[in-house]
This record gives sequence, C-alpha cells and structure tokens, in this order.
Amino acid sequence: MSESSLSKPEPARRKLSAGPLSRGDKWFFRTTSIAANFAFVLVFLILLFLFIQAWPTLQAQGPAFVYGNVWDSESSPMILQLGPMIWGSILISILGILIATPMALSMAYLIVFMLPGRLAKIATTLVDLLAALPSVVIGLWGLLVFTPVASNWAEVLNKYLGWIPIFTVENAENGFRGSPFIAGWIVAVMIVPIITSVTREIFSQLDRDLINGALALGGSRLSTFRRVILPTSSGGVVGGVLLGLGRAVGETVAIFYVLNLSFNINWANVLETEGGAVASWILARFGEASPAEKSGLMAAGLVLFVITLIINFIANWIVSKAQPWRKNQ
Amino acid sequence: MSFAPRPPVQPWAKANIGRRVQVAAAIIVPATLTMLFNVLTGLDPNISLIVVFLPLQIIAASLVGFKAYGSRGIGDAILVVVTIFFSVFVLVLLLSVLGSVIVEGSKAISWQFLSQNNRYVSPTTSLDYGGVGHALLGTLMVVGLTTLAAVPLGIAMAVYLTQSQSKTRGIVRTFTQALSGLPSVVSGLFILSIIETTQMGRSGFTGSLALFPLMLPTVARVAEEALRLVPVDLRYAALALGAPNYRAFFQVILPAAKSGLVTALLLGLARIVGETAPLIVTVNANNGTSWNPFEGPMATLPTYVYNYLSSSFMTSQQRAWGAALVLLMLVAILFGLARFVSRSKSLKSKPTKKRASK
Repeated sequence: MSESSLSKPEPARRKLSAGPLSRGDKWFFRTTSIAANFAFVLVFLILLFLFIQAWPTLQAQGPAFVYGNVWDSESSPMILQLGPMIWGSILISILGILIATPMALSMAYLIVFMLPGRLAKIATTLVDLLAALPSVVIGLWGLLVFTPVASNWAEVLNKYLGWIPIFTVENAENGFRGSPFIAGWIVAVMIVPIITSVTREIFSQLDRDLINGALALGGSRLSTFRRVILPTSSGGVVGGVLLGLGRAVGETVAIFYVLNLSFNINWANVLETEGGAVASWILARFGEASPAEKSGLMAAGLVLFVITLIINFIANWIVSKAQPWRKNQ
Repeated sequence: MSFAPRPPVQPWAKANIGRRVQVAAAIIVPATLTMLFNVLTGLDPNISLIVVFLPLQIIAASLVGFKAYGSRGIGDAILVVVTIFFSVFVLVLLLSVLGSVIVEGSKAISWQFLSQNNRYVSPTTSLDYGGVGHALLGTLMVVGLTTLAAVPLGIAMAVYLTQSQSKTRGIVRTFTQALSGLPSVVSGLFILSIIETTQMGRSGFTGSLALFPLMLPTVARVAEEALRLVPVDLRYAALALGAPNYRAFFQVILPAAKSGLVTALLLGLARIVGETAPLIVTVNANNGTSWNPFEGPMATLPTYVYNYLSSSFMTSQQRAWGAALVLLMLVAILFGLARFVSRSKSLKSKPTKKRASK
C-alpha cells in the first residue's frame, strides 16, 4: 500500500500567484503605477533640465559659484557667485524658525489641550486659512503694512539691545527697513501653519492615558508638558520644523518685497538693511538677464532645489518615524 | 501625626465665585495698569505690550495660580499665559493680513474693476478706468488647464498608494512628499529650461505647465487621505463578490470617497491659484484680454499684483490691493467649498468609521 503510493508520480506543483487576474485589472494597476512613477520621473526631469541649462555656468565658475560673493554680469568673463544669497537664505530661515516655532507650539498646545471642541475647530480652520494665503498677498501686506511696524520694533531692539553684536547697525539712516529681521518675520508668518499642523496632529495622537497618568500622579500642566508631552512628541515637532525650514528656504515673492538684496555678505547683523535670498535673487535678476546670466540663475535654482530636497527628505523621514500610527494603514 | 492639617486640593471641584473674581481680576488689572502706564509715560504701545503688559499678566496669573494650587500653580499660570499670548499673536497677524487686504482692497473694487481689462491704463489713471477682468480670466484658464492634468494623475497616484500592494509605495510616497517641498520659482525655472531647450513659445499654457508640479503632490496627498477613510471591508466585500479590482474601485470606493476627492481638487486649486513666481518666469505679461491660452502673452491675478506693487504710484498700489482682494476671495471660495464638502462627508461616514475602528 505504502509502496504503491510512493511509486506514484508526484503531481506537478500548482503555481501560486497573487497578481491581478483579469485583463481589466492588469490595465488598472498598470495605469496607476505609471502615474505613481511619474513622481520620481518629475523630480529626475527637473534635476536633469536644470542641470543641462546650468552646466555652462557651473563649468565656468567652478565651486566658487557657491561661496564667492561677486555677481557681475557686465564684466567679461562674467563672474557669477552666489555666496551671500545662500547665506542670506539660511539666516532668514533660521530667524523664521526661531520666531515661528514658539508660536506654532503654543498654537498646537492651545488647540489640542486647552480649547473646547468647537473653538478648537475654529482655530484649526484659521491656521489652515493662514496656510492658504498666497505669498504675493503676504508680500503686499509685508511691504505696505508690516514693514513700518516691524522697522519700529527693530529700532527699539537696536536702541535697547544694541550692545548685543547681532543687533548692531552701521547705517541707521535707512530706517531699519529691508533687513533680514523683517524677512524672518514674513517667513515666520508663512511657516507657522505648517509647523502647527504637524505638531497638532502629533499632540492629538498622543496616548491620552500617558497624560492622564501624569496628571493623576500629581503632575501639573507645566510638568506634564515638559516631562511627558514634549519628550514623546519631540521627533514629530523637529520634523515639522524641518518641513517649515524647507518652505522658508524656497520662499520667493514675499521676501523679494521686504528684503534689500545685497552682495555685501551680512553674517548676522539681522537689523542691517542688507541681506540675501536665493529664490528672490532669481526673481530680481530674471527680467533683465542675458542668456548667459539666465544659465547662472538656472544654476542658482538647481542649488536651491538640491538644498530643499535634502531638507525635505530628512524632515519627512523624521515625521514618518514619529507617526507610527500611519505606517500600518 | 506629622501630617500638617491642609485643606485637600480638589481640582475637579467647580470654580467658586471667589476664584472667578480672582481670574477676572488677573485679566483686567494688568490691562488697566498697562493702559495707565501708556497714558502717563507716552510709551509706544508695541513696546509696552511686551515690556509692561506681559510681565504684569504673568505675575497676576501666577498669584491666582498660587492661591488656588500652591507653588505648582505658578508654573501652570506661566504656561497658560505664554501659550495664549503667542496664539493671540498668530491670530493678530492673520487678522492683520485679512483686514488690511479687505479694507484697502474694497476701496478699489467695483463691477468695472472686475470686468474691464487694463489696455489703456497708465500708472496714474484713476481707478474709474480699467480693472482685473483680463487677469481673472487668465488665472481661471491657466489654473483650469493645470487641473485637467494634475487631478487625474494625482488621484491615480493616490489609488496606487492605497489599492495596490506594490513594494515601491514607500518610495513613491517619499518622492511625492519631496515634490511638495519644491520651491515655486524652481518649478518655473524648470519649465523655462524646457522652453529654452525646445524653443517652445511662452504662453498661458507654459504657465499652467509650471503650476503642475506644485499642484500634483497636494492632490495626491489629500486624495490618499480620502481613499484611506473608506473602510477596507467595503473593498474586500466587493472583491469577495467576484468583482475585479478596477470595478471595486470605480463602483464602490470611488462613490464612497467622492467628497474627499473633490476636497483634494479644491485644496489643490487653492494651493496654486496664488502662485506668482512660476508665472512671472514662464508667462509674458499682458494688459489686454487674451482668450487663447496656447499662444501669446496672458495676464494672471498674482502677476497683476506683482507688477502693480512694483510701481510706487498711489493708484497702482490700490490696484494691487484690489487684485489681492479678488485673489483672496478666490482662495476663500475654494477653501470654504472644501470645508463644506469635507464636513458633509464626515457626517455621512461617521457610522462606517466606527465600525472600521472596531
């Protein structure tokens, strides 16, 4: 009996497959995957086309394109160097982050832990509305409404805290306008909603039992915030701040109006009437640029894109690590 | 024993009248003191708000907190005061933007401002002539063209991310997020470099091409959230009944997620309708009305604001305010519609959501 069953030829193994069965499904998934792959095709295309156009400049200027501080399109050969603009972008972004983070954290804490349901919804809507304001409108407001107010603040800062090195000003006759300080505020207005919405989501997904436990053990609002809420959500908050940083570096039109672009490198005198921003510089030079200078602007755009790509990759990685509840969906 | 006889703290007890009076006093007293101080010394209100009012408010709130909860009440009071102060500051900034645009813009706005174009308008022409009609039309056409391409593609990406089991989903999501951080001026330069390479003419169409990479990630992200909200049981039920995946999607999931997808469309529109830099780089400005987005120069609202703000004449600035108000109203309409649509969705999907979480 057993021998006979052994001698039987083994049936051919059935192939197991989990692919789409019908032709319609095959086309369905094919189409969607083509669409999805378009995301990196697009990123790749942007890098490629900018690189093709920027190559002559990058070749002619060498690495000094990134750190030198002369932009002279009249001379031959042209000297196109972007150092002060890149540093200016970084300085403004840091200022923006320093101003925006406390505001965004407060807003998120207020919405999640202090306001009752309906008010919290209204506050969330208002913050989202702030995110939807076009940057040209912010620029208009920044130039005609905010600059007079902020230059007033800057004057006071300089008067009372002028002994701190970063608040010193050499040319006070410019009326404190067009400084990185004001541009930092404008950037802060634009990134507060981004940081707030990321932080708010992290706060609202925190384990309520943890917070209630801390309160039951006799913790106060402050100690719960410092010892429980902040440590458990710090990853997400840092990621949100980095996302805001990515937006701040790429901000164009609003800064173009409120900042006095200058190639005298301004290391940290935030109240001085000169600063830089790569994106705004592209916009400022674009109208009157010769083809060769346009290539330089493309190179500036390439540098900007690479910087924002790196920041965004890091930020999204941190945010997704801090939101484990999104992973298993 | 050694326990001091101390009244028990009862945080759950309702605040009595004495406590309420204390809180009210903690709000009113610092404000009046600051106002008095301002009147007496003539200090700039901007400064006294931070130098005088904030410390006074913190002290007052700490006193009340100390009286109610002992020493730990002080920390709480400081936290609450600082939180509210910063949040109010954000709201003041927002209301300042909205308020100034509405107040200044409504001076310029009229029916003729909305309908006429700017063909015979110089920087000093009075506001009775010319308007943003051509720019409004241009914005609608440029943004409409972008939408035609970006919405189907964005939704298809969202379908890929939610319905398929591919291993590359993580990478696709990462790149979509990276794309959402694309600086708008770089998007414009990208299309410009294509124009330079292919010798294509600049037109409204190139502008809508430049807006495309900015709209795509927003649509994809919001659509993905919308498709996620549909309970996966619905899809399994359809598949178990023998439906192929595409019919399960088109006949079951799509109707269930319809309002969420409309929200994705509206938020994507709100994202790009105010984009300025890409349009400045890729579209030539125009003072007349253009009906053909595939050829010739074209005006759009954001570039209109940009051009008129660059001029220092009073009437030009008022035109900029007026156009900004029109732009803001467009954004507000889109935004309000999105809220409305997504709210009606959340009402309908409540029971299904509960079942899914079980």
